[in-house]
Amino acid sequence: MPSTLSFNGLRKSYGGAPALSDVSLTLAPGRVHALVGENGAGKSTLIKLIAGVVPADTMTVTKDGAPITLNSAGDALAAGFRFIHQELNIVPQLSVAENILLGQPGATRYGLFVDWKALSQKANSALAELGIDDIDVRVHAGGLGVGDQMLVKIASALVRDEGAEAPGLYVFDEPTAALSDTESEKLFDVIERLKKDGAAILYVSHRLGEIMQICDDVTVLRNGAHVITTPIADTSRDEIVHQMTGRELMDGYPPRIQSIGANPVCAAKNISSAKLDQINFTLRDGEILGVAGLSDCGQTEILRLFLGLERALAGSLTFNTSAAPRNPVQAWQRGVAYVPRERRSEGLMMTLGVRQNTLLPHYRGLFANRRAEIEKTRGLETDVKLKAVGPDQVVHELSGGNQQKVVFAKAIAKNPRLLLLDEPTRGVDVGAKFEIYSLIRHLSEGGCSVIMSSSDLPELIGMCDRILILHAGRQYDIIEPQGMQPGDLLATFYDHHKTSELP
Amino acid sequence: MTAHMRQFGTLLGLILIIVFFTVNLPDTFLTARNLINVSQQISMLAVVAFTMTIVMVMNDFDLSVGSMASLSGIVAAVLFSMGYPIWVGVGGALLAGLVGGLFNGFLVAVIGILPFVATLGTLTIFSGTAFLISDGRTIFGRDIPAGFSGFARSGIPLDTIGLEGLKLPYLTITGVIVLLLVWIILEQMNFGRRLYAIGGNIEATRLSGIKVKRLRMGAFALTGIGAAIAGLMYASRVASANPTQGAGLMLDAIAAVFLGMTMGKEGEPRVLATLVGVLILGILDNGLTQMKVDSYIREILIGAIVIAAVATSALGRRR
Repeated sequence: MPSTLSFNGLRKSYGGAPALSDVSLTLAPGRVHALVGENGAGKSTLIKLIAGVVPADTMTVTKDGAPITLNSAGDALAAGFRFIHQELNIVPQLSVAENILLGQPGATRYGLFVDWKALSQKANSALAELGIDDIDVRVHAGGLGVGDQMLVKIASALVRDEGAEAPGLYVFDEPTAALSDTESEKLFDVIERLKKDGAAILYVSHRLGEIMQICDDVTVLRNGAHVITTPIADTSRDEIVHQMTGRELMDGYPPRIQSIGANPVCAAKNISSAKLDQINFTLRDGEILGVAGLSDCGQTEILRLFLGLERALAGSLTFNTSAAPRNPVQAWQRGVAYVPRERRSEGLMMTLGVRQNTLLPHYRGLFANRRAEIEKTRGLETDVKLKAVGPDQVVHELSGGNQQKVVFAKAIAKNPRLLLLDEPTRGVDVGAKFEIYSLIRHLSEGGCSVIMSSSDLPELIGMCDRILILHAGRQYDIIEPQGMQPGDLLATFYDHHKTSELP
Repeated sequence: MTAHMRQFGTLLGLILIIVFFTVNLPDTFLTARNLINVSQQISMLAVVAFTMTIVMVMNDFDLSVGSMASLSGIVAAVLFSMGYPIWVGVGGALLAGLVGGLFNGFLVAVIGILPFVATLGTLTIFSGTAFLISDGRTIFGRDIPAGFSGFARSGIPLDTIGLEGLKLPYLTITGVIVLLLVWIILEQMNFGRRLYAIGGNIEATRLSGIKVKRLRMGAFALTGIGAAIAGLMYASRVASANPTQGAGLMLDAIAAVFLGMTMGKEGEPRVLATLVGVLILGILDNGLTQMKVDSYIREILIGAIVIAAVATSALGRRR
């Protein structure tokens, strides 16, 4: 029986900083409701609250007017909520059928042996409910494409005890981030089917194109606050982008004062690699080049070219008038510094102190000089405005924004010539964001060239002198973003007409 | 449980063990002679455990140290029996440790085999090599030069500080020197700090332009040399070499490092904490032997204590 779900007065603060302030949301059966907002707008906090995995400061939930409690993941499951996250938590070594029925009491013979036949049947019927008949449930799940893996996960969310009520709410968290266009279409068919069966769907995505295509309503969040809820039919892509970014944030980027230098620092000529095709640009000293496109279409690889981690198969790559570094060792020695995308897994040693993290690439000589290191670390802490108890505070005790500042301190410690930034403000609060922007601007004015990849469009427009647009690893265009609206930039990611119109 | 209690719990345990034996063995335990004896007994284990700490800092470990110790003793003894002078025998044994350690490092860092599998393989290889070149026999007697076996029996006389007739054994001094060297390497040199970085996050370290492969190979080489030194100490002490005599060292050395890791702020290995682990194991062994506790029961007790210490630490870490 389809029911309407209301979430009222959602509030959540982390250590005094509000992540979500008084947001309400009503989800009607048979409608797909989009939830959009920039990184840090509060989308993931909202999902965690309704999944019961993070306790809310305040929240009332009603199902057709009757209050329900959501204090644990079990409560959310019992209430008929299902969550499909962007990371695929499938077990690649197990068969598709086992993955679909993972967490269910398995069908057995004599209570001891796996009843493979019954298992396959159950899994097949779960897939059939989604209208899928081209996945063999006996093959290893790891051998499937990402899109099919996503469908397997949805099928496993569908599985329930005999006679139990069908799930009333599906929450999709950036489901298409790793999917191709055809795989996405398959997913949209499944969502359409769930919708017809009367489920409510909450759909979180950065991709406005697909939101316009499949959603019925949209709620926009900004800085943890509710901006607007409206039917998709009454709004437009540009309007949503405008509501997501807001005017006041556009003023939050420190302007360029010095002009860009005249000397080329690095250049790519006709570079092709496993993931890149026909990359061409020259970067002068002090220039900030943005790299943008739909998610995972070669941004990280362009940065990693200059670390020697992405091998160029054709073309020439130069840095400081000679060949580009062939490995990270050479890169750091020659003044290339890198802020990786995932600060926990690629940027920091979480159990070590600030000093050991910031100075790691810069140790010289046989013996450590503790006093000089502490002095150097203190100076860097001031430069990046780090809030830490001391130079040896363990990094996992710091907030996300301060951890990111530690990664920056490491990168700028030796006055780099070229700074490579991959999502430099991901998961960073607004205040720390501005401090990071000021720092990048300061370095650039001092002559350091910057290549930065970001999915934060206003940030690219506000910080970059030029932006290289990628379409699936191929350079589509280099644009000057001054005066551009985020919607215009976003449009270039999808824009396929322009190429064909060119002579 | 507070972090301090967890960190100092193991040290407290050591003190309790000392108090226990002092009370129960009032005449024999807390005497200069016995303590010097303990220091000599544990010196081989100490050297292996200290150098094992170097690889465990990187979250790696080395199962082959025991058979490397046996092999090193055999290499020295075979060279002696062929008439070579002491320095050639000792040098050959240390070279075996270096080469074996580098081979472990190569398998782990360059080929990319898990340390457990790689060093389990070399454990068997080193052990087999020791049997092969010794023909499976114990080498003893006239083959072992008196100068070599004399090293373990002599020391610096302590008459001047009022301990008549006692000597500070050279084996103990060797252990202290190795401790000092490892402490300098891990705590004072940039080499060691890079190893701690590898242990903290190997990918982040690689992306920071650190030569991770070379460092890992170097660390395994040091552990191999440490095992070879321990093998020489053992051979000198018993004036013979047997292809299995180092076998017991590996498990005790790993246990000692684990005991020490319970004292780290973030659960990381520190060589001075490893010393505490070695002392706990060594003193327990000495005291229980004197109390005539059956050696099988001794083994059960020591295993239980290691588990209890690490379990307490793991529970204290959970928040």
